[in-house]
Amino acid sequence: MWIQTAFLIVWLDPLGLRMHSMCSPVFHCYACPLSTFACPIGVIAQFGALHIFPFVAVGFLITIGVLFGTLICGWVCPFGFLQDLAGKIPTPKFDLPKFTGYFRYVILIITVLAVPYFFGEEHPLFVCRICPAGAIESAVPAMVGQAIAGEKILWPNAIKLIVLVLFLIAVFFIKRPWCRILCPLGAIFSLFNRVSVFFLKFNPEKCTDCKRCHKLCEYGIQPEKSPNDLRCIRCLECTNCGPKALKLETIFSRSKQPTNK
Amino acid sequence: MKNQVKIIVVSLFILLGAALLSYGALFHSAGISAKQKDENIILQKSEPALIKLASIGGIKRDESGKINQTFAVGEKPPATCAT
Repeated sequence: MWIQTAFLIVWLDPLGLRMHSMCSPVFHCYACPLSTFACPIGVIAQFGALHIFPFVAVGFLITIGVLFGTLICGWVCPFGFLQDLAGKIPTPKFDLPKFTGYFRYVILIITVLAVPYFFGEEHPLFVCRICPAGAIESAVPAMVGQAIAGEKILWPNAIKLIVLVLFLIAVFFIKRPWCRILCPLGAIFSLFNRVSVFFLKFNPEKCTDCKRCHKLCEYGIQPEKSPNDLRCIRCLECTNCGPKALKLETIFSRSKQPTNK
Repeated sequence: MKNQVKIIVVSLFILLGAALLSYGALFHSAGISAKQKDENIILQKSEPALIKLASIGGIKRDESGKINQTFAVGEKPPATCAT
């Protein structure tokens, strides 16, 4: 949590730098008054609508993805941190079926790639028009500002409002609902989990089959069977199991081969 | 996947990412149409400049495929993204 808090200083632009010609590797809306960098998903979608290939955003995501994979989601992303904080409120938490993890790829393909390219940025399913991060970080503060200034309030579209309300309900009952079901950025990073520099290594010799890692993992993954699962956000909770059978390593570590099932 | 193979794959991805990033940041540009005193001019913008413009809804593609700046040269750009 301290690492996530420390990274907020980078993303929330305390120095007012507004370096929006560069992308960040996290989900943080560039329309937010407190954002240092541009959102890579927003840039890819906007460039798709312009029919320009986003070399900077794609190159940046490949580089960061192959270095860290979803470590970014678990430790760096401010929107993930926000959900972690909401998740600390003691409400009953529900688990999700495994297949919901693949819905992120549908969101990535439809709302970030296909809709912007074929229908442009005015389509209601354009990712920025339904994004709850944009709603919370930008649309809501803008609406409050308009109300205070006595100006006409510009409401976001109905789909964005519905997604926002559903998100605000879900965040208290499901651990990281956005990251697990919908996040297109997490979908991209997860594709690198099996080839990234940092990876989770399972040591079967240390494993006592106590299944404690199953209880520690809040995302319904069986870490000993699939340590670098596509759904894993690398919170590294599973590495706290008693026998220390799971460990974060790099591909340069001088030890036995990683177990990638 | 063996570690050596993994190192090769990672290196190739990093090279690819760095190549795309460098090309985009240093060489890639696009022409956008902007209004200046009742006439349209074409401005060549680098990709970082396009990212900044896109982030505030400062550029739009019209039906003919032309990319237009949403504000005239010398005017104040939109405060935030239109979405």
